[in-house]
Amino acid sequence: MRKNEGQWLWGLLAAPGTIWLLLLFALPFYGLACVAFGEIDPIFRNAVAAWNPLEWRFENFGEVMGEILTGSLRRVFVRTFGYVLAAVVLSFLIGYPVAYYLARHAGRWRGLLLALMILPFWVNYLMRMLAWVNLLQVDGWATKAFSAFGFQYNFLDGKGITVILGLVYGYVPFLVLPLYASLERLDVRLLEAARDLGASPGHAFRMVTVPLSRPGMMAAGVIIALPMFGDYYTNDMLSRSPATEMIGNQVDFYLNGTTQPQKGAVLVLVLSAMLVVFMAYYLVTTMRMQRELQT
Amino acid sequence: MTDRYGFNRRRFLQGSAAVAGGLMLPASLLSACGDDNVSGSALTLARPDRPVTLPTAANPIAGGLSHEGGTLQILNWVDYLNPDTLARFEELYGVKTAVTTYDTEEIALNKLRSGAFQPDLIIGLTDSVLPRLVAADLLQPLNKSYLSNFNNVIAGLRDPYYDVGAQYTVPYIIYSTGIGYRADMDVDTSYFDSGNGWDILWDPAYSGRLGILDSYRDVIGSVLHRNGEDINTGDQKVLDAVLEDLREMAAATNPKIDILAYTEVPAGTRAVNQCWSGDMLLGVWYLPEDVDWNVLSYWQPDDMVTGNDFFCIPTKSARPVLAHEFTNFFLDVDNALENFGWTGYQPALEALPASTLIEWEYVPPNLENALITPEQYAAGKRAVALEPEVDNRWTDVWAAFNAG
Repeated sequence: MRKNEGQWLWGLLAAPGTIWLLLLFALPFYGLACVAFGEIDPIFRNAVAAWNPLEWRFENFGEVMGEILTGSLRRVFVRTFGYVLAAVVLSFLIGYPVAYYLARHAGRWRGLLLALMILPFWVNYLMRMLAWVNLLQVDGWATKAFSAFGFQYNFLDGKGITVILGLVYGYVPFLVLPLYASLERLDVRLLEAARDLGASPGHAFRMVTVPLSRPGMMAAGVIIALPMFGDYYTNDMLSRSPATEMIGNQVDFYLNGTTQPQKGAVLVLVLSAMLVVFMAYYLVTTMRMQRELQT
Repeated sequence: MTDRYGFNRRRFLQGSAAVAGGLMLPASLLSACGDDNVSGSALTLARPDRPVTLPTAANPIAGGLSHEGGTLQILNWVDYLNPDTLARFEELYGVKTAVTTYDTEEIALNKLRSGAFQPDLIIGLTDSVLPRLVAADLLQPLNKSYLSNFNNVIAGLRDPYYDVGAQYTVPYIIYSTGIGYRADMDVDTSYFDSGNGWDILWDPAYSGRLGILDSYRDVIGSVLHRNGEDINTGDQKVLDAVLEDLREMAAATNPKIDILAYTEVPAGTRAVNQCWSGDMLLGVWYLPEDVDWNVLSYWQPDDMVTGNDFFCIPTKSARPVLAHEFTNFFLDVDNALENFGWTGYQPALEALPASTLIEWEYVPPNLENALITPEQYAAGKRAVALEPEVDNRWTDVWAAFNAG
């Protein structure tokens, strides 16, 4: 009896999260599918959701998939994956040393430095991007500073590198914090054992620190990569050129700028399906790493 | 001007809309669903040579009523009304006004259909959504007895082809589509002298200094115009050729795609930008202080593409009399002039000739051609509402172009 009461209590505690997920994820996602596989009102040209799956129509899905596999959308998908990959790698190159320093060497400055790391969160993402737009304009301070060193480059001229750097700048704090948490929990005795057994600092870092921080790296990578895939406003603000169009821009266009919202919905579904594959890989890898660490 | 994000006047607002859009994508999707009944037949779309008299399901409000007072709820594009003119209206009528903005006409239509927001007056819609608004019984016919200034409207729009008899709409702004440029930035004006100034958009000399409108209707329309094709064509082969032309343009000039010509050209970050006539008229106020205002220039073809938007009053307006009074207020020449001085978009009024606007220094002399005369408006080409399947072809071309 007492055991049943406990189960009931635990179930109750999970209820808010379950309801939250159902209302704000499962239901909207189903709505999205119903729009993607629905119709367009011939007069009002708005999406008519097919709430009954038996009435789903797959013409739009086939058309969009055709565009992704062989048409113009293929370039957009390849470009988006390239940008995200580059931005994640760059974020790690910048963020890992910062997180490592914070966790292992910051000492009494750790609190202050962590506060400084969180500081960008106080400023709206758009404001930070707008600041870069101003800095990188032809007469912007950053451009003038680059010019002083003989480096002439118009960053705002629809350049992919600008979008990648914008993504890195916008998301790198989200990478540092989980990495810091992972590195900060790292058992120092393992490092000491490695050093006692003759490993150099660099060798100990490669053989102990990096493997033990892999779960944190995976989590941090997922945390920044997922929103990057759907990001469109970074590109809108820093480039807005056909040369840098990302999946999110096409979704935004079809949903908000046309009378074909079902195509935007299909794009969201396809992107979600791709990201689910990544998430599955992340979960499997994380579980495997946990098992390895326990053994 | 059914642009991608509307008339957003500030980068911040544009960006805010972008993020808000990002956060609200699922919501906008659901709101876009409307009701679940698929309507049966297509609407008759008006053409200049095929004017349409819209059906009226109800009578206009009675004449001679006093206005309702309170707060007039206005649905409008961003920064599309002069706050000073609004304040004077409030003072004159002893009322308040509240402006809610929309980013695209489709969003405005969905807002009205869902009933989530019930404005008393809508400003800035075009004929592309008008038949749908009327079909859904979302607009009420106007009572002209409240519109004593209606005759100030340019002759060609008092009885527009999209609303014969102006039963539902009163014109607000007229504009053309052309090219704005900084005359002091080594722009080769021989393109404009040759008559087909659109060619400059393909000149690699302007790569990195060139922009086009974030509006598939205007960009594709301009390419069609350049190619001597019908600017409302639904011919897939012609549209495929347009896509190839656009890709050539992207390869040659890597254009920026936005609606910021009114700030970027004056600032000198772009030498050439496809734009609406009002962009250059407004751009005068964005010129750096040390730059002569005559450097801003505008080209439009002789057989220019002209358009207009309008005021209209929703069926469920709680203050229809006040909405009529407001519309009439903005048809007054002095009020319209004050409004123009801030928005930069030309009122659709007969009594505001270019010579007056130049003499009163609202417009620099070299931008006289950005002002549309009633005769030019009457003779201009019209970017009309497209059939749904044609519209889809256009948006697919635009999406493919944007895909790079």
